[in-house]
Amino acid sequence: MKFTWKWLLDHLETDKNISEILETLPKLGLEVASVVNLAEDLKSFISVEIIDVKKHPNADKLNVCMVFDGENTFNVVCGAPNVELGMKSVFASIGTFIPGLNLKLKKGKIRGEESFGMLCSEKELNLSENHSGIIELESSAELGLSISDIMDLNDPIIEIEITPNRGDCLGVRGIARDLAAAGLGNLRDLDIIFNDGEFDSIINWKIDLDKDEKYLCPKVFGRSFVNLKNDESPLWLKNRLTAVDQRPISSIVDITNYIMIDIGRPLHAYDIDKIKGTFLKISKSKKGDKFSALNGNTYELDDNMLVISDEESVDDLAGIMGGERTGVTKNTTKMFLEAAIFDQVSIANTGRKLNLNSDARYRFERGLDYTSPEMVMHYASAMINKICGGKSSKIVNFKIEQKNRIIKFDPNIINQLTGVKIENELSKSILEKLGFKIVCVENIWDITPPSWRPDIDGIADIVEEIIRINGYDKIPSIKLSRSNYIAKPAMSIKHRQTFFASRILANRGYNEVITFSFLNKEMADQFNGGGLALNLVNPISSEMTDMRPSIIPNLLSAVQKNVNLGAQDLSFFETGPIFKGDSPNEQISTITGIRYGDRIKKDWQKEAVTFDFYDIKLDVIKVLDTIGVPKNSLKIFQEAPEYFHPGRSAVFKIGQNIIANLGEVHPEIGDAFGLNKSAIAFEIFYENIPLPKRNKISRPMLKTSNLQPVTREFAFLINDEIESDRICQIAKSINKDLITDVKILDIYKGEKIPQEFKSIAIKVTIQPIQETLTDAALEEISADIINAIEKKLSGSLREI
Amino acid sequence: MVSEQKDDLQNLLNNITISIQNSKSSSELENIRVNSLGKKGSITLYLRNLKDYDIEIKKEIGAYLNDIKSQIKKLILDKKNFFKTEYLKEKINSEKIDISLTPYEAEIGTLHPLSRTIEELCAIFADMGFSIVDGPDIESDYYNFTALNIPEEHPARQEHDTFYLQPDSSGRRKVLRTHTSPVQIRTMEKIDLKNFEEIRYIIPGRTYRSDHDATHSPMFHQCEGLVLGKNINMGHLKGCLIEFCRTYFNEDNLPVRFRPSYFPFTEPSAEVDIGCKKENDGSLVIGEGEDWLEILGSGMVHPRVLQGVGIDPSKYQGFAFGMGLERLTMLKYGIPDLRPFYDSDLRWLKHYGFIPVDNPSLHSGLNGVFS
Repeated sequence: MKFTWKWLLDHLETDKNISEILETLPKLGLEVASVVNLAEDLKSFISVEIIDVKKHPNADKLNVCMVFDGENTFNVVCGAPNVELGMKSVFASIGTFIPGLNLKLKKGKIRGEESFGMLCSEKELNLSENHSGIIELESSAELGLSISDIMDLNDPIIEIEITPNRGDCLGVRGIARDLAAAGLGNLRDLDIIFNDGEFDSIINWKIDLDKDEKYLCPKVFGRSFVNLKNDESPLWLKNRLTAVDQRPISSIVDITNYIMIDIGRPLHAYDIDKIKGTFLKISKSKKGDKFSALNGNTYELDDNMLVISDEESVDDLAGIMGGERTGVTKNTTKMFLEAAIFDQVSIANTGRKLNLNSDARYRFERGLDYTSPEMVMHYASAMINKICGGKSSKIVNFKIEQKNRIIKFDPNIINQLTGVKIENELSKSILEKLGFKIVCVENIWDITPPSWRPDIDGIADIVEEIIRINGYDKIPSIKLSRSNYIAKPAMSIKHRQTFFASRILANRGYNEVITFSFLNKEMADQFNGGGLALNLVNPISSEMTDMRPSIIPNLLSAVQKNVNLGAQDLSFFETGPIFKGDSPNEQISTITGIRYGDRIKKDWQKEAVTFDFYDIKLDVIKVLDTIGVPKNSLKIFQEAPEYFHPGRSAVFKIGQNIIANLGEVHPEIGDAFGLNKSAIAFEIFYENIPLPKRNKISRPMLKTSNLQPVTREFAFLINDEIESDRICQIAKSINKDLITDVKILDIYKGEKIPQEFKSIAIKVTIQPIQETLTDAALEEISADIINAIEKKLSGSLREI
Repeated sequence: MVSEQKDDLQNLLNNITISIQNSKSSSELENIRVNSLGKKGSITLYLRNLKDYDIEIKKEIGAYLNDIKSQIKKLILDKKNFFKTEYLKEKINSEKIDISLTPYEAEIGTLHPLSRTIEELCAIFADMGFSIVDGPDIESDYYNFTALNIPEEHPARQEHDTFYLQPDSSGRRKVLRTHTSPVQIRTMEKIDLKNFEEIRYIIPGRTYRSDHDATHSPMFHQCEGLVLGKNINMGHLKGCLIEFCRTYFNEDNLPVRFRPSYFPFTEPSAEVDIGCKKENDGSLVIGEGEDWLEILGSGMVHPRVLQGVGIDPSKYQGFAFGMGLERLTMLKYGIPDLRPFYDSDLRWLKHYGFIPVDNPSLHSGLNGVFS
């Protein structure tokens, strides 16, 4: 909402200066977005008289003028068609910044003729889009004065942001009222000359709505005007409209726009000569109705949109935009003026469906003063008669009386809700200055909100009005202490799991990224997503159409981006959601990671080693270890989803629950991202990890043995198909108390052993608990291990 | 007789001494030892021959001989030590390495600045008794709007630039939550009113709006806060948020301003500004200065929102707040642009990220000193 300082003073009688006002506005909830004074830009533009005009010797369309500012004369080359001897216009000398051209004026020769400045159009001064000629000042204008003074432009333009509840402040008067209530002056009375009209209106209203639909248009007023002269508006009016970004068009349109900004009341003017018949009908549209709006576009309407039509067709979208056919032009002499109240919801729906925005719709949607239609008929008439001449008719209207809204209010609630103590008298006076009516019944106030505040509908709203004007700075600041609590962790187990996992991963060289929750359809499909329920109706780009079924594609694209920037070895992880469906329990939290390139770089000490499945497996194990996975319950299977390399991927499970997928990303997918090395990825579904049953803080007693552990090494020949780790599992199972560790030392395949076989060397650590083991006991354990492996894996002991 | 033998022995000692002095290695020295003191060594043999002499002579020569023996032993030991020291010296000299070299090792990773901010918030609000809760990113229209007192046609809805998912068979379409506020409703619904005293929650999370330019991202992060109890008033809102702002920005006297505003789900509502100074180069310095910077929205939970979840607004009241986490992060850590937050550019991550061992907490600090 834009307005000017002088405009505000039309409504506010105040001895405060502009900075005091600007300081107060935000305290009232009216945030100041900007303050601009056009005069600052226009200081060096001065009034001059053209005292000589000669044709440019080398250019047909140019003139060489001599201008006089009261003291000096300047030679100026000018191309404007309206240059005339004796005319007064606006001159910028060399060095002046021309806001409309965004350049600083330099001395120059134009086709051989020297020019010491420029005669300016309105566009060059950023006053309007008009560039048809140079500005023509009144012949009485004094020479050598700043143009901002002559054109009355020295008026700061203030823009404030209006929250959706404050429709009343979409007019200058509403802002003045708030300032007055805050003690910054008095609200002036609105200067209304009542005029009942001299003749019967040429046009009448016809309400074509069912009884239960009358609420769509509870009130509409209108009156006719004749003998109008719809010329250009006077300078002051044009200046004000231009200042608030309304393009001056013609007096009638300008007046309706002016009143909309002035008191927040949209109006619409019809050219009576273009209305077919003598009625304007308010009704609901039928699907297929067409409407050509003033903005030059044609809209096809749906059912149930509130429209106004004459005998011919729909030509007004109620509260949103008038029609082209019946709109006023400079030739209009007879005009019908409409002021109505339309249902906010209906207007909002129609505007949204047609994607049609307008200043009127903006105000209707936010709620208008229910009493405004009758008042504005007189307010507007006076202005129209003054500027356009003519006569106004009697007023024609339709209205439903609105019930008084009364809110029961216990003033103690102010302190209870906000902690501020305000004297009842002060609260009352604040409300009254804002236009509220109060009747005290014992200690309860019956409050009637003013007609221009349809947003007020409860106790909390009234409290806000009082503390807003009283000042939010008077609300005490009370420490929110933890009195009823002992210090407790803010994080749940789930948050701590990601907290710890992030740290383990970063310590292992991963960089945390955050990527969008959506990706393109193709990738969604590839990663087993892409369902209709997870497809966006209005994606921002074709790359972000579907909710992601996995974070791996996002990380692949992160790798791709960085590879393209020249990076070589990359490790990224993200903790975030993936989506299997659109209900809350189908959103799954994951910790997902990717590695690409070398784990060890070649240097003077070492040879390069690329990341492989086993690196990721270790990463996953380390993370799971940290976030509370019971080690023994974890089982690994070779059945990862098909976006992994089938031979180089795995799944960790606890029971039936998948805890993690891991492995090389399928080469085809890697190709799609243009990666020429294998990317290795994992995704941990940590919500599937069973939580510890009891939150036991104390730990079991540590039992240690001081006896030396004994180690034994074996090598077995087993079939190559058998998973190597089975040897360890079997060896360990021989004596779970004494065998503390079984490690694979070597795996050999090759010439020295039969094909389809591998030799696995293991080292078994045996930890005696109470007494040293005898050779016989050790022999027995060794023999048991050998027997078990021979029996269960058809393996044979191999001499080392 | 005795003196003759003593002379002999003295000569022998002199010879051995010279050969010890001239010896060049510990093996040569060992030979000398064997040849003199060993089983068949000259001194040993001499000693053995003594048995044929008188007891008096035996005594005298024996003592003399023992003295010589220990002299030789000492000489050998000294020479041995000399060799050991020399050897070690030489060994150490030969073992010198080039300390200017550093082997390559992959660098330690970093944590994203946004995660950092969320953790800082957790630390601050945990101290005030808050705990963290989550909610779904895909929401129904009810939770994202209606329950928050934003009916279908409300002008505030248009300001939300909502992402919609494909409608189901009944025509209902889910939305990507446009703010973290729906989680307020979800948490309040779970309250067991029979035993209810107070709740204090913060809700950090992903939010979505269909807007993409230099200052808007289709996905961004917010943190919601909710405090509900019997005697929570707007003064507590003020106290809580002033404490938060000052702790987060580490400024004891940071000016904090509360300004009337409007959110459909709070009444009264307040926008919160912090003091700042705009430098000539366009950058902002948080703290005392001429300007104000809006950083969060807040207000008393709207009675209609409470009624909607079955809570009697005449018995319980509370406040809620919400803030944009990217903005907080950018302001605190001087990050100029929004878009790189989601670009996964390793250079950016390394520059603006945090080392994983630096856990933000009130006792170790919230300001990423070493990162």
